[in-house]
Amino acid sequence: MTLRPPLLLAVAALVLATSCTPGAGGGGGGDGKSFEFWSFAAINQKLSVDAYRAKRPDVEVKLTEVGTSVETAQALTTALAGGKVPDLVLIQGDNLPQFVQQPQNFVDLRTLGADDMAGDYLDWVWKQSVAKDGEVLGVPTDVGGMAVAYRTDLFAAAGLPTDPEAVSALWPTWDAFIETGKRYKQATGKAFTDNAATSVFYQAVNQVSEKYYSEDRKLVYETNPQVKAAFELGIKAATAGITAGQSSFESAWSAGMAQGQYAAVSAPSWMLNTIRSTAPDTNGKWNIAKIPGGSGNWGGSYLAIPKRAKNPQAAWDYIKEMQSPQGQLEHFTRVGALPSTPSVYQDPKLADAKDPFFSDAPTGKIYTDAVLGLKPFYIGPDSATIGQEFLNAITNVEQSGGDPATAWDDAVRNIKTAIGG
Amino acid sequence: MTAVAVTLAPVRPAPPPPVPRTYRGLGERLAPYAYIAPFFIIFAVFGLFPFAFTFYVALFDWNPIGDQVFIGVDNFTRMFGDPRFWNAAGNTVSIWALSTIPQLLLALVLAHVLNHARLRFALFFRMSMLVPYVTSVAATAIVFVQLFDRDYGLLNWLLGLVGVQPVDFVQSTWGSHVLIATMVIWRWFGYTTLLYLASLQAVPRAIYEAAAIDGAGAWQRFRHITVPSLRPVIIFTVVTSTIGGLQIFTEPLLIATGAPLTCGAVRQCQTLTLFLYEQGFGQFEFGYGSAVGVALFVMVVAIAAVNYLLSSRIRADR
Repeated sequence: MTLRPPLLLAVAALVLATSCTPGAGGGGGGDGKSFEFWSFAAINQKLSVDAYRAKRPDVEVKLTEVGTSVETAQALTTALAGGKVPDLVLIQGDNLPQFVQQPQNFVDLRTLGADDMAGDYLDWVWKQSVAKDGEVLGVPTDVGGMAVAYRTDLFAAAGLPTDPEAVSALWPTWDAFIETGKRYKQATGKAFTDNAATSVFYQAVNQVSEKYYSEDRKLVYETNPQVKAAFELGIKAATAGITAGQSSFESAWSAGMAQGQYAAVSAPSWMLNTIRSTAPDTNGKWNIAKIPGGSGNWGGSYLAIPKRAKNPQAAWDYIKEMQSPQGQLEHFTRVGALPSTPSVYQDPKLADAKDPFFSDAPTGKIYTDAVLGLKPFYIGPDSATIGQEFLNAITNVEQSGGDPATAWDDAVRNIKTAIGG
Repeated sequence: MTAVAVTLAPVRPAPPPPVPRTYRGLGERLAPYAYIAPFFIIFAVFGLFPFAFTFYVALFDWNPIGDQVFIGVDNFTRMFGDPRFWNAAGNTVSIWALSTIPQLLLALVLAHVLNHARLRFALFFRMSMLVPYVTSVAATAIVFVQLFDRDYGLLNWLLGLVGVQPVDFVQSTWGSHVLIATMVIWRWFGYTTLLYLASLQAVPRAIYEAAAIDGAGAWQRFRHITVPSLRPVIIFTVVTSTIGGLQIFTEPLLIATGAPLTCGAVRQCQTLTLFLYEQGFGQFEFGYGSAVGVALFVMVVAIAAVNYLLSSRIRADR
């Protein structure tokens, strides 16, 4: 019976990954005419690469779409620990801090001229990729300004307004958003939004002035009243009966999206692409309203060059070309990812951009407003783990019958176990 | 006999003179080792070394892309006080019990039926038992998750027809365990059945016929002939499926797609191997992950030891 190999394989993989010294060997040595690029799947990175190929036909770009943003970060960690590293890699903002903690694994982009570009980018976005001694590890490719996407047809059927201005006026606060959800549920008997954890808590907790760490980089998640308030909102939404209890991005969530089960979903700028691809039949039935509670950011990614990259210069040329303000603006017109370079926010291509899939909602203006009004906060090495435990606690109340009264204490205890604090 | 030995001793020819140590003689003596070397070299590289190295890494706070700090047994102290570890251990035992016991009983009955003398198309039935076993685990998981889905699943649709509220299999503790156990049973029952069947076919049919003539019913024949003659192979399957049960990994990884590494929001179906993987490759705490691997190894060894005692007792009974 072949039951032993799984254990052996797991252990072997664990050890193979550990047995090579990190950061061994310098970079360079490639032909400079080609480079390898790891990106996430399903974000249409290929369009950008194709555009670059058109501009620089002499350079060969080998694009690999590794998987989700988390899977890409995991593959990168394993590669950095002792495998073949790419020349250029896309890192999602939530995963960035764990790499910023270990700057010796990456090329300090200042050596390639990053200092000259720093002024082009939103200051708080740029700062997140700066390591403790000032090394610049990544260039921000986009930000994820927040909004709410809603179904005009479902809102009309429930007797709610459908005009974006009027809808935004329905929910100046998250409490009002939950009340609207109750009205919708009463009128139709159906769920208002997909889930409480990502659509309410994760939005609200990104609208704070200080999140899990204080400005001087100390852990404050347990005592920060803003985090507690966002968590309570999540619990309130979970227990109000307005959610479908479908966790974001699960297969059943996609099925629900395609079947029009959710009247409103949180929609950071990159989510528009997800809605478009999971529910193509709902074309024209959506519109976009302001997010309750003011502006905020969720997501956004960075391009980095590993230290052992064979073709760092070719990768840097790509960054300089494609992540310049004009390059990001062009990328916006292709896939709708919001630029991290404020100088183009007034450009008519962005400011006047409308999205026909979302009833010609002025996406450019909505998302730039959300980002410009933002209060930046420090994201630390354990932010992703802490956020995940809070999400889990709310999902537990919503979907597994957990006790809302003990949810906060449970979450804090789980966080302490997870981060060993 | 001794007399023969004594009489033969004097006539045994003197030993031949020792062969000089030529290059050819050395080569001949080393050749067998060269033939078996590929296996042992690969085993040493991919089996023995990683295995030993795991014990070493378990003593460190080991960041694969950062520092590696020696911390002694701290990983183990942390593990014994970690509710996530005990939760994973509990889940593993629960899923093992839910999958192994019904699977072995089912296989026993099926083997008995398939061994029936008057069964037509016996070969077809016996071979078709192996189809789930040769199906990829991932494919099985995708199909079962859809069957058991809360909103769109076939099973909940059937339950709805008889007025039962939809059950959220993945998000509830017992539901997720049942779902995983069902997948494990589905995959392994055919294999176990064939093992039992092979063993049963060694039992002379005359015993069954004699018992039938003596008036033994079907149940009595099953109870007093089938089960006792299968005892060694039952012990074997109990042990192998227990070791396999401790290592259930793919099924829990694939059923909760929103939080795959924890198998759901509250780790309701996270097994020990999945916890190891989460710590090693999700959190990249290689030291702690290795410590969990060492604990798993100790458990497997303990079960193998119990097996040894049991099987030697069975041999003694005979």
